[in-house]
Amino acid sequence: MNTRIVRDSYFVENDLLEPLAEVPATDSEAWDEGKTFNCIGKYIPRIDGYDKVSGSALYTFDISLPRLAHARTLRSPHAHARIVSIDKTPALAIPGVLAVITHEDIPKIPWYSARSALFDTVVRYIGDEVACVAAETEAIALQAAEAINVKYEPLPFVTHADESLKDTAPKIYPNGNIVSRDNVTYSRGDIEKGFADADAIVENTLKTQVAVHNPTEVHCSVVQWDGGDLTVWDSTQNVFGVRDDVARLLGLASAKVRVIKKYMGGGFGSKLATGKYTVMAAILARKTGRPVRIALDRREMNLAVGNRPDSRQTIKIGVKKDGVITAMSLNSFGAVGAYPGSAGLSWPFKQIYNCPNVRTEEYSIFVNAGPSRPMRAPGHVQGTFALESMIEMAADKINMDPLEFRLKNYAPTDPALGAPYTSKYLKEAYIMGAEAFGWKNRRPTGSSSGPLRRGMGMASQIWWGGGGPPAHAVLMLNADGSARVLSGTQDLGTGTYTFMAQIVAEVLEIPIHKISVVIGDTGVCPVAPLSGGSLTAPSVSPAVRDAALQMKKKLLSGAAVLLNTPENRLTFKNGAIFPDQDESKKLTCSDIISKLQERVLVTTGSRNANPEKMAACTFGAQFAEVEVDIFTGRIRVLRITAAHDIGRILNPLTMENQFHGGIIQGVGFALMEERIMDPYTGRVLNANFHDYRVPTMMDIPEITVLAVDKPDIQLSGTGVKGCGEPAHIPTAAAIANAVYNALGTPVGSLPMTPDKVLSVISPAVPELRSES
Amino acid sequence: MKNFAYYKPATLKDAARLLTTQTGKNLPWAGGTDILGMMKDGLAAPDGVVDLKSLPGLDKIEYRPGQGLLIGAMTTLARIAVFPEIVRFYPVLAQAAGEAASPQLRNQGTLGGNLCQRPRCWYFRGETLCLRKGGDDCFAVEGRNKYHCIIGGAPCFIVHPSDSAIALTALNAVLHIAEGMKVRRLAISDFFVLPEKNVTRENILKPGEIITAIEVPDVNPRTRSIFLKVKERGSWDFATVSVAVIVEREASGFRSGRIALGGVAPVPWLEHEVSKALSGFNPTPEAISRIAALILKNAEPMTENAYKITMTRNLVQRALSELAG
Repeated sequence: MNTRIVRDSYFVENDLLEPLAEVPATDSEAWDEGKTFNCIGKYIPRIDGYDKVSGSALYTFDISLPRLAHARTLRSPHAHARIVSIDKTPALAIPGVLAVITHEDIPKIPWYSARSALFDTVVRYIGDEVACVAAETEAIALQAAEAINVKYEPLPFVTHADESLKDTAPKIYPNGNIVSRDNVTYSRGDIEKGFADADAIVENTLKTQVAVHNPTEVHCSVVQWDGGDLTVWDSTQNVFGVRDDVARLLGLASAKVRVIKKYMGGGFGSKLATGKYTVMAAILARKTGRPVRIALDRREMNLAVGNRPDSRQTIKIGVKKDGVITAMSLNSFGAVGAYPGSAGLSWPFKQIYNCPNVRTEEYSIFVNAGPSRPMRAPGHVQGTFALESMIEMAADKINMDPLEFRLKNYAPTDPALGAPYTSKYLKEAYIMGAEAFGWKNRRPTGSSSGPLRRGMGMASQIWWGGGGPPAHAVLMLNADGSARVLSGTQDLGTGTYTFMAQIVAEVLEIPIHKISVVIGDTGVCPVAPLSGGSLTAPSVSPAVRDAALQMKKKLLSGAAVLLNTPENRLTFKNGAIFPDQDESKKLTCSDIISKLQERVLVTTGSRNANPEKMAACTFGAQFAEVEVDIFTGRIRVLRITAAHDIGRILNPLTMENQFHGGIIQGVGFALMEERIMDPYTGRVLNANFHDYRVPTMMDIPEITVLAVDKPDIQLSGTGVKGCGEPAHIPTAAAIANAVYNALGTPVGSLPMTPDKVLSVISPAVPELRSES
Repeated sequence: MKNFAYYKPATLKDAARLLTTQTGKNLPWAGGTDILGMMKDGLAAPDGVVDLKSLPGLDKIEYRPGQGLLIGAMTTLARIAVFPEIVRFYPVLAQAAGEAASPQLRNQGTLGGNLCQRPRCWYFRGETLCLRKGGDDCFAVEGRNKYHCIIGGAPCFIVHPSDSAIALTALNAVLHIAEGMKVRRLAISDFFVLPEKNVTRENILKPGEIITAIEVPDVNPRTRSIFLKVKERGSWDFATVSVAVIVEREASGFRSGRIALGGVAPVPWLEHEVSKALSGFNPTPEAISRIAALILKNAEPMTENAYKITMTRNLVQRALSELAG
């Protein structure tokens, strides 16, 4: 295992990460473009699929332990208040209550970049944590939490960004309600000159809403102390992150904390951060001497574990008659809730098109609402909606086909980072998608007539998703030819288990059912990145491949000794090694291991370093066809075609699953999902699954998923890029453009609910004649 | 949620006794889809629930030509949506039942329960002490009122959540209401209560009173009916706006007709004047446009719900043109 340490650099959820990471000393030759595979790129069903559908797979929510206690949280009923006093006695008097913790009971544990604490004396949104109770049952814990008598001194509050920006708004922090004034602007070229050079200018202000992650599995932790060792079962996208946070906050050695996450029902970014509930449960477990389980209910899920900030974006684009974009400017702001977060959304604006003159300015605003967290391509979803809406308008303005317009302004290298791409096949994706969709049948904007208006629209996608080090995998090969592969990564439901097994099966030519995958366990797995930013497969797959290639080398070296033949005369085929093309002398893997008297052969593989001074991105385009009922304002999405450059496809089955999920979530964002806040009480009015609408089967269009499927061999040995976020980024934008094409007027605000659609249709009572 | 007892009475008399007992407060339980949510949200805290679905004979559907339709109150919405004579003679009702909620909820929810649902207003369902819960204010007036009513509201601006109630109102249905062994008949239009009359209740049922059946007058071969509903998503959504229209056709057009609206008022809203105008109505496109523009002309929308006027007029227009075709 020959390694070296490098300073790498890549983007994780829009933040540039520059880790010092251990990588292989030399990179093994990448799987090239023409390579044929037995297992990679095949429709392989999930290896954990049976366990999941039969109910035998245990999720964090299902973990039960002897003497398990249950915890529930008391949350602030005020949007902004100072806690005057807390009387726990009524709660402690309830039979079955084991312990209550508040800010008075424990040392101050800093939270939210130390702007607040685990339990603060000021609460800043309805849902902020005030106390936590452990009891014999969850029902008793809930009853006890409600029995705690808290006196609050209510403070003035503000719930919407436009109000929060006013001078008269109550200040949530002494410095005011803007999160930071640093790095809010970006510019390249000469914006004034760019607009002066334009033949036509389009300008509009577009809005997007606060959306909530709503993963299927609720946030949940089960914690158990064993002497000084703490085990945390947690529904998290970042086992090592939770381990280090819990250790740091509780003053433990990180080696004493083991975080386990086996199966997971989604996260979408809300489970990237360590939960307050996890730390509260650990404290209560120590206090009670019992294991503690804490699970959030749907209301808590809506209020307290993140959301996508809203946005108000003013965009101006200047174009020449021939389709060249001469200038682009963006001004935006969005509400991040009561604690630091980012409403930034300008990356697609700066990156997708080759425009020389660009200026952006964006602000993140505090309001008295639940804090935001990265949500499936943070910033890119709302940013792409507004940008691509304006791109389609600009194309219409100069009577150019929107796809041709995009190709005209194609960026061969990254205009924002000033670097070449490791690979970019967006043009191929555009063409592939347009053909499959039938883009040439798009009619001029506003030319559809009748009560049901049809329209077509498209949108481009750019995102990170190249992954990077450190990511390691341990491979253990047994004498019976079975293998176990371990990595401290996570499977959010995306298929990590399956692709890891596929890679081992491919390299060592052993059947996939003989491979066991262990992930999401800091106690036994080597470190791997968090699962966010579409970086799991591109980071972990090369590490697993490296481990498997090393294992192959080890077996060849063993066979050379056993067969008394130099390695260069040995052939590896179907999991066996033989000399001089003579299969009769073959040694199977188990022959070699048992003859070496090694019960288990072990290798450790690592993700290679990223190439220097290059940009690694994913690309793609989605095309939508909609039908708008001009009587009711209802939009029906008829079909979506997705065509993306996401590197090599490891498993088209799980890849398509990712796209189905991302597109369905995009339909929700485009048409119905919205957190609705009451400005007078500071309450979320729809913190439940009835009033906060996510799409049902009846809302899901026909979906076609295409991939360019070219490996990015500059990026890694597997040539894989991520696809979780690319799947979701352009959906809402494509739908909005299709609606614009159908109606001739943009709605300009998400979600495009019937009331908003009706407001752009005139006359109010349509002509009946057109209905046959 | 507070612990509660579950009762399974054998007779209507037992049910009435359990519902009027002085030793605690029991609430009726039909499909349970609404009451359970109310209990979970802390809006109802009964000592016991009385399961009406176990009562014998309350889930029959009978259609007799010349007499009409009699539906047991404990019939599920799912059955009503596909019952052949209802689909054939009363499509407005089959469509309304089939548009309600989601398949799971329609399998569980009953017609009687559907008529007795509590409002879905998010201030009523939330933690705010609103007028309907004994407070001083209707928060919708100053707050978020996109889904609230545009007519008949003051002082509380809920909309009635039932789809089938809209269809039954257009059909002039009659409810059978039992108090113990005594059964009385009541026109559906007399069943629902406007907030100006009593802001804390949506209907006239007293404790112990149970809807046992819904009677729908017979139709003739010239009768046509339709239910149209706007939802913000494809399934599992209450009406943003709905219309139920029934007409009797004659050679030159409509002999008579009736229009009921949902999603616009605290009770199923009968458009009396426009309904009257459907007598002897010649449904040309121009005439339909003209008559649709008269719908809800006394509406008083709030900050976020004026779109409901346009939406309702458009739906009425569509419904009338469908029935004319």
